[in-house]
Amino acid sequence: MSFSLNEVEVTAKKAARGAGYSWGLAEEAGKATRWLCAQGLDGCASLAALLQEPRHASPQLKPGIWSASGVLCPLVTGAALSDFAAQLTEGPIRIVDVAHPQLLLPFAAGAARQTGTVLTLTCEDLVAHTDGAGVDLTHIPSPPGTSDVTVSMGGAMAGFLPKQTRATPDPAIWDVLIAFAARTYAPATDASRRLGAGAGLSDND
Amino acid sequence: MRDPAPTRFPLRSPTQVMRLSRLGSLHQCRLSFMRVLTRTMAAEGWRFTRPVFNIGGDGVGHAVYSATGPERTYSLVAFAHDLPPEMRSDRVIATAWDATFTLFDGVPDAADIDRLSKNVPLQEAGRVSEREISVSRANRSVRLWEHFVDALAAGQQPDPRKTAAVGYLMRTTAVYGSGKLGAADRETIANRPELAVPFQAEMLSVYLTRVFVRDLVQHMADTRGGDQAATLDPAIAQSLGIGNSTGLGMAPFIVNHPVLFNNWIMAREEGIARVRAVKTATDTETATFRALLDRSALSVAHWRSEHPIQVEKLTALRADMAALIAHADTADLTTSSPWNRLYDWAEATLGEDAQELVASLILEPYPDLVDGLAACMADDNADAFRIDGAVTVAATRAALEASFGWALAIDWDAPENCARAWYVSEEKLEPRLGERFDEPIAEYEQPLAPARDAAAAHAALADRAGDQPIATFLLAHPDHRHTIRRAQIAAIAPYGEIHDNTISAAVLPIDMLRAKLAFFGATHFDPRSDRWVRICMYAGAPYPEDLSPATADHWIYPEVET
Repeated sequence: MSFSLNEVEVTAKKAARGAGYSWGLAEEAGKATRWLCAQGLDGCASLAALLQEPRHASPQLKPGIWSASGVLCPLVTGAALSDFAAQLTEGPIRIVDVAHPQLLLPFAAGAARQTGTVLTLTCEDLVAHTDGAGVDLTHIPSPPGTSDVTVSMGGAMAGFLPKQTRATPDPAIWDVLIAFAARTYAPATDASRRLGAGAGLSDND
Repeated sequence: MRDPAPTRFPLRSPTQVMRLSRLGSLHQCRLSFMRVLTRTMAAEGWRFTRPVFNIGGDGVGHAVYSATGPERTYSLVAFAHDLPPEMRSDRVIATAWDATFTLFDGVPDAADIDRLSKNVPLQEAGRVSEREISVSRANRSVRLWEHFVDALAAGQQPDPRKTAAVGYLMRTTAVYGSGKLGAADRETIANRPELAVPFQAEMLSVYLTRVFVRDLVQHMADTRGGDQAATLDPAIAQSLGIGNSTGLGMAPFIVNHPVLFNNWIMAREEGIARVRAVKTATDTETATFRALLDRSALSVAHWRSEHPIQVEKLTALRADMAALIAHADTADLTTSSPWNRLYDWAEATLGEDAQELVASLILEPYPDLVDGLAACMADDNADAFRIDGAVTVAATRAALEASFGWALAIDWDAPENCARAWYVSEEKLEPRLGERFDEPIAEYEQPLAPARDAAAAHAALADRAGDQPIATFLLAHPDHRHTIRRAQIAAIAPYGEIHDNTISAAVLPIDMLRAKLAFFGATHFDPRSDRWVRICMYAGAPYPEDLSPATADHWIYPEVET
């Protein structure tokens, strides 16, 4: 089934919230998943995989190297990459052992817009550039589970992945997101049915 | 002669404008989305056709209404159903309706109609595609519908009093756009000039729905009455609007879209400031104001509600209208900054409802000062979402104080200040408002209390060094991330935050609903409870065959009998 990008964003945001992220990080998850889908990358698969794992760590920031005693959470680390974009002017940042590193891309794009430069991301043998608007992956990789990622300023875009206006996630992956999203819904009670939406007068008039 | 370059006049402050009681007293104005649409369609000479009207004698079938502008055609695909009365509900829990609709991007072919016929009647339980821009449904006003069919079938015109008492033959109960149910994303249509102003597709859908409803009631009367049936008097048809029932689902919208809502409010405030800066009005401008004031008073006189809060507001508004008309009869509305003096008089003399009516009404004589502001009402600032982590703690504290200074001293643990919680119900996935201390909902609370959250973030920032970047705080306190984002947005969108408590025991969600619906161009707000409102759309508007630059604008004000 084909979904609108708005549906992707709303579902991803709810799913991240349902998995226990703060509202602010859930908003980031929604935007990040949407951004990946708009580039033709399977953001839904990365997010669904992340949410099914135990909660990963927040990075300790040392000059040039971000790490933790465990695997890094790409949403927390991505948000930090965007928030601390100015640090990139001091040199590359090596992000050690981050889960589902594809989820860092949208945050790197935000950092690229903030710094007004192309950013280069190196992940194992894969190199991607982003200028904020798009990403120049020449093929859509099958993303690794965890990896080190180095982010640096500079580089040149070598074309764009074509932009997409719809997403077609695997139904099983979509179901995972829907199941996490459902955790944000309050079970109905008699009181909520009666009062919560505040109707009560007949509509047969 | 009007001053060609009016002096700059300050905008009313967010502190004044963004109170819930004032937002709940807003009225339509020149910038309302329905009026923007009818002006655009008339100015561009849009053409309207009905390529399909395939409705049986039982009132079941489908029809297509196409509207063609300079570059593109949009088609309303309407499905008419036979709905048993026991299934008729305006609430979102309904599963069947008298009619269902989609706005199609282009002209649908038979395969499109076939696909849509299997999905649009199901509404939330169906799926549409990127070719569809909106999905909506409507229920009949049972008493007025039956009266119309009976009267017309018997060769008579409907009773004008019964018509006026309801105002519409059908009311929509949801109009979904922006990618909902699989429809096209806003981003895919936002760069089309005719849809750049917010909600133009949804407003077009409702405009065409009104034509369909008029045609359908005539069809039913013709079927029943045969040769005897009368043709509906065009004047009665024009008086009819499309009703709308709006519930809580819309209230969070204005909290969840602070940049968009800011742009609506700010466009109107800029218009008000420009007109208040006019030093001298021409006779024509003054005459326009006086004529529309009389027509506006008639609209207020026609406004009906049984809800105690609205009854009280209407009593006050009618008294204020009488005072306003008496004042305008003798006041100098020509020289010495007439509109600023009138507004100041209103603010000193009248209630908020009438103040806002005056603020909207003084815009009417000045299309050249006001109408262009509609182009500023969309939210095309996608980067506003991104937090600038380099902003300092001190600057963040200042931003929180600017929008929420009033909220910092409130005791947010006191039950009356946090009595309510917004949540989404498992059953229909729609926003609801519950009692925090009586229902098991707190753990499902939606982030719709920005003031409480701002106070919490402000407190958490208290012992941080002022020159530290906010990024450091955010890494340690992800729970405040959504609030810091809002604080940064507020710096560029000062009218994006409501300056009131959205979870207090006293909050009235209908205030939030009215604020949004007034920008649509709705009139005759009729609350059915504190969180549910009926309105009327397009009453008095010209049908496509009568739409022209001469009729496209002031239709919202009923004509005064002379």
